[in-house]
Amino acid sequence: MGSQPPMTPQPMGSQPPTASQPPMASQQPFGSRSGTPQMSRPPFQMTSGQFSPQLSSRSPSPGFPPPPTDKAMPQSPNIGNASPQTGRHRQKYPDQMGKAYSNGPESLPGMNQGPQQPPQFFVPGNMGQPNMMQRDLQSPGNNFQNPMNNFQNPMNNFQNPINNLSNSFSNMNLNQKNVTSVSLFDAPPNVQTIDNCPEPVIPAQFCMQSSEKKNPPYGYCCSTLNAVPQNNALLQKSKIPFGIVLSPYKNIGPDEPEVPVTSPEVIVRCEICRAYINPFITYVDQGTRWKCNICHVVNDLPAFYSWDSKTRQAVDRNTIPELNSSVVEFVATREYTRGPPQPVVIMFVIDVSFQSIQSGMVATAARTILSSLDNIPNYDNRTKIGFVTYDSTLHFYNLNANLTEPQMLVVSDLDDVFIPAPDDLLVNLSESRAIIEAFLNKLGNMHKTTQNVSSALPAALTAANKILGPIGGKIAVFQSNIPNCGKNSLKKREDPSLYNTPKESTLLQPADHWYKDFALDCSKKQICVDTFIFSGQYTDVATISTLPRFTGGSVYFYPGFDASRAEDATKFSSELNRFLSKKIGLEAVLRIRTSRGLTIKGTYGNFFLMATDLIQLPNVNPDNCYALEVNIDKDLTSEKYVCFQAAVLHTSNNGERRIRVVTNVIPVTNNLTEVFANADPRAIAVLTAKKAVEKTITDKLEDARNLIISTCVDIMGAYKQAFTSSGQASKLLIIDNLSLLPVLIQALLKNIAFRRGNIPSDIRSFALSVLLGSPIENSLAYIYSKLYAIHILDANTGLPIPNTSEVYMPPRINLSMQRMTQDGIYLLDNSQHIIIWLSRGSNPELVNALFQKPYEAIPSGKTTLPTPNNDYATRINNIIEFIRKSRLISYNNLPYVYVVKEEDNNRGWFISHMVEDKLDSELSYPQFLSHLREQVNINY
Amino acid sequence: MGGEALLFLFAAIVSALLLFIMVYFIIMFSDLECDYINPIDLCTKLNQFVLPNYIAHAVLTVLFLITGKWLTLLFNLPLLGYNIKRYLDNKHMFDATEIFRTLPYDKKESFIKLVFFFVSFFLYLYGMVMAILHNKSLYA
Repeated sequence: MGSQPPMTPQPMGSQPPTASQPPMASQQPFGSRSGTPQMSRPPFQMTSGQFSPQLSSRSPSPGFPPPPTDKAMPQSPNIGNASPQTGRHRQKYPDQMGKAYSNGPESLPGMNQGPQQPPQFFVPGNMGQPNMMQRDLQSPGNNFQNPMNNFQNPMNNFQNPINNLSNSFSNMNLNQKNVTSVSLFDAPPNVQTIDNCPEPVIPAQFCMQSSEKKNPPYGYCCSTLNAVPQNNALLQKSKIPFGIVLSPYKNIGPDEPEVPVTSPEVIVRCEICRAYINPFITYVDQGTRWKCNICHVVNDLPAFYSWDSKTRQAVDRNTIPELNSSVVEFVATREYTRGPPQPVVIMFVIDVSFQSIQSGMVATAARTILSSLDNIPNYDNRTKIGFVTYDSTLHFYNLNANLTEPQMLVVSDLDDVFIPAPDDLLVNLSESRAIIEAFLNKLGNMHKTTQNVSSALPAALTAANKILGPIGGKIAVFQSNIPNCGKNSLKKREDPSLYNTPKESTLLQPADHWYKDFALDCSKKQICVDTFIFSGQYTDVATISTLPRFTGGSVYFYPGFDASRAEDATKFSSELNRFLSKKIGLEAVLRIRTSRGLTIKGTYGNFFLMATDLIQLPNVNPDNCYALEVNIDKDLTSEKYVCFQAAVLHTSNNGERRIRVVTNVIPVTNNLTEVFANADPRAIAVLTAKKAVEKTITDKLEDARNLIISTCVDIMGAYKQAFTSSGQASKLLIIDNLSLLPVLIQALLKNIAFRRGNIPSDIRSFALSVLLGSPIENSLAYIYSKLYAIHILDANTGLPIPNTSEVYMPPRINLSMQRMTQDGIYLLDNSQHIIIWLSRGSNPELVNALFQKPYEAIPSGKTTLPTPNNDYATRINNIIEFIRKSRLISYNNLPYVYVVKEEDNNRGWFISHMVEDKLDSELSYPQFLSHLREQVNINY
Repeated sequence: MGGEALLFLFAAIVSALLLFIMVYFIIMFSDLECDYINPIDLCTKLNQFVLPNYIAHAVLTVLFLITGKWLTLLFNLPLLGYNIKRYLDNKHMFDATEIFRTLPYDKKESFIKLVFFFVSFFLYLYGMVMAILHNKSLYA
C-alpha cells in the first residue's frame, strides 16, 4: 500500500462551483450527469427530495476532466485530481481509449444508457441474437445468480427451427470469419461482462426436436472450452486447459426451478459404459432402441418409454424428465441400496475452553442449535444428534429420553478414549427432544467459570468417530483454540519471518499427518467433518482444514469472534442455522463418465478420490464445487460432440436413495479459431484457481503463482502464434471473448490466497479453502470483487425486480481507484464481506440518509445499517440484503457489512481489492500486461 | 567359498527380493488404475514395504563400502542418494489422497527400480561366480 500514489485530499476550494448550489433546489434526476447520454432512462424521481444530487451538474472545470460519456473510458480520476500531475501520472491508459474493443466508439453506449451492447461473446446457437444478451444486461449483475431465469425463455431464439439449425454448429464457421482480436493495451477490461455467462449450448442435432434439450445451466456444469478440439495436438496448440467446473448438487436459489425428480420402473443405463439415459441419446430402429451418447453402443429401450400400459396410450417422450432435462434426479431402485439408508446424524463437537466461553461462542452455538432443532431435516423421525464437549478432558452427555436431566460424563484419559454409555450419547432427535432442549439451555452456562485453556480436539474427534462409526453422519466441530492437548496436538508454528520465503508453504501444509489419516478414516465410514473455527489467535487452519477437505465438508472461519458484537453473533447463528437446515445428500459417490477418448487428468475440490473418475463424498455438500481437468487421449475425428455425465448416488434427506444426473454435451471442432472463440475465461480462471490451491498445499506457493501466470502466458502466446501477424509484437492481442482472462488471472495472483506479502497463514489457508470449495459464481466474486457506485443510482437500481426475489443492481465498476471519485460512496462485494467505502468528500446528505449519522460520527468496521427511513437507504439496504441472501444460499456465507472511511486504518484492506492498481510488490493491470507481453514475446 | 562369494550371494538374494517387491508395486498400481483396489488399501499395503526396501538397499550399499567393492558401490550410490532424498523430503510414503496425482511418477519410479534390481541381480550373480572361480573378486 505504501507504493499507492497518495490520495490527495481535494480541498474544498477546488470543488466545482456547483458544489455551492443549494442541493435541495436541484430537481435533477438523481445521479444524472449533464452531457451524458443517460436520459434514455426514465429519470429517477426523488420521492423525498432530501438528497442532494451534488454530482448532477458538474460543469467542466480544469480540475475535472469532462464527465465520461463512455463506460469503457477512464472515469474521471477524481481521486488525487487536485494535483493534476498525480492524476496524469496515474492515468495509465492512452486517451483515445474510447474506441475500446475494436468496434469504435459508436458501438459503445454510454454508461447508463439503456441496455448495453453485449460483448461479442460467441456461443454456438447464440449468434445473431443480440437481444438475448441485451435482455440479460437490463438487470446487470444478476444474470449469474439466476441462470435459470435466462433459461426459461432462451428458446425465444429457437422459435424458428430452421434458423436454429443454421445458427448452431454452422455458426462456428460464421464466427470464424469475424474473429475479433482485442488489443488489451487499448482499453481497460470490461468487467460488466464478467457476469454474462454463456448460455447453455444446444447441440445442432437436438434442436430440431420438438422440445428443446439444452445443456445444464452454468451453475451446475460449465466447461472451459465450449468447443472441444478434435485431438490432443490441437488442444496443445491452443494451450487452454480443458476442464469442467461441476456443482451437480448445487444450492437452488429462490428463482430457480427445482431439479425434476423421476422414478421410472427401471433406471435405464447403457449396458457397456453404465451411463444413465439422458436427453442427448439418439433413438434408432423406430425408437425401440437407443444409442448411448457416451460410448455409442445401441441398447434396448424399455417399453414404458413408448407405451403406457396403465392409460393404454402412447407415451409422449417430450414429457419424460430424464429424456428432456439435462439435470435430473432418479429415485433409485432397490439395487442401489446397501442396507437401510443413512438417517441424518449430527454430532456436535464443541470446544468449551476458556477462549470459547469468553468469546460467547458456546452460548451462541447452543442458542442457535436450540432454535434450529425444528429445521434439521427429520424425515420419519429418524434424525439423531449428540454432543461432545472438550477442554483438557472430554465431556459426553447422556441424553437418553428416559432421563429427566442430561447427564454429563467426563473422560480424562485422552490417549485411549473410552466411550461411556455408547447407546445414549447419540439420540433420536424426536424422542429425546425435551432432554436435548434442557441440555442446550444449560450448555451456555455450564462451563462458565472455566479457566482451562487446553483443547483436546484430536481426542474429541476420535471419540466422535467411534460413536458415529457404525452409522456414519456429520461431525460439526466448533474450535476456538489451537488443539494443544493430548496426542496429535498442534504447536504454534506461525513464524512471520517465513512470510515471503519459500518456506512459507510449510505453514500452509498440514503439520500433522494424523488429521489427514483421520479424515480418510471418516470418509471410509461415511462421516463428514465440518469445522467452525473461531479465534483471535493462530489456530492452524491449514491443518484443521484438512478434515473437511477430504470428507466433503466446509470450513467456516470467524477470526476474532466476539458474540457480544451483534454482527458476529448474527453471522455465526445465520450460517449455523443454514448449515443445520440445508439440504444435504448422505453416503454419496460421484461418478464422472466421459466420452471415449477423454480421460480425467486431475480432480480438484473437497472430497476423497477413490478412482480417477469416482469421488467419494460422505456428504454431498451443496456449497461445494468440483473441477476436473481432462485429457484428450484419442483422436475425436469421428465424433460430433463429446459428453460428460456426472452422477451422484446419494441418500436424500427424506431417506430415499437418489441419483442426480447431470449431462453436458460439447461439440467437437477441428478448427483452432473455434476452440479460442468458445473458450470461457471464467471457467478457466476458476479451474486455474483450484489447481493452484492444490499446488500450494502440495508444493510451494511460488509454484502456484507460476502456474497461474503461465496459464495466461501460454494462452496468449498460443493465440499470438496462431493468429497474429508479425509487426504486432508491440500489441498484446487476444480473441475478444477471452479479453477478461488477463484481468481475472491478475486478480487471482492478487487474491489473498496467492499474493505476496505478510499475510497470516490462517487467513491464507482459509482463502485457499474458499477458492478450492466454492461454486463458480462465488469464486468469481472472490477473485474479482464486485464494486458498485452507490452514490449514483439509476431509476430502478435497488428496487426489487417484479416476480423475482432479485434486486436491480447498479453496474459493476472496474477495481481501480481511478474509477472512483473522491465524493463517492462505493459498495464492494468480495463474496466474503460487503465493504462500504465512504470517501471524505461523500455527499453528506446521502451519508446521513444511509447511516442516519454525519460522516464523522460513523464508526468504521463491522456495522449494521440502521432501519431505512427513506428511499435511498431502502434501495441500498435492498442491494445489501440481496447480496447477503444470495451468498447465504449459494455458499452458506452471510457477509459482514464493513464501513471503511477514507482515512481509516482499514483503508489498505479496501485498497487491496483494487486489483487493477499497483499493490505493494504486485503489478498494476497495465504493468501486468507489459509483463505478459514480455513473457509472450520471449516464449513465443 | 570365500567371503566375497558369500557377500555377492547375499546381495543377489536381496536384490531378487527387492525385484519382487517392485513387481508387486507395479501390479498394484495397475490394479488401482483398473479400479480393482481402493487407494487407501493400496497405500497401506505398499507403505509397509517402502522402508524395508530402503533399508535393505542401504545395508547392501554399506556392505559394499565396508568390503571395499568400489565399482558396485558406485553403481548403488545414485539410488541410495535418491532414496535418502525422498526420505528427507518425506515423500517416500504413498499418500492415498495424492496417489492419483503422483501415480505416473510412482509407476515410472517403480519401473526404473525394477530394471535396476534386475541388472544388479545378475551383476551380483556374476560377481559371485567370478569370486568362486578365481577366489578373488574382479571388483576389488
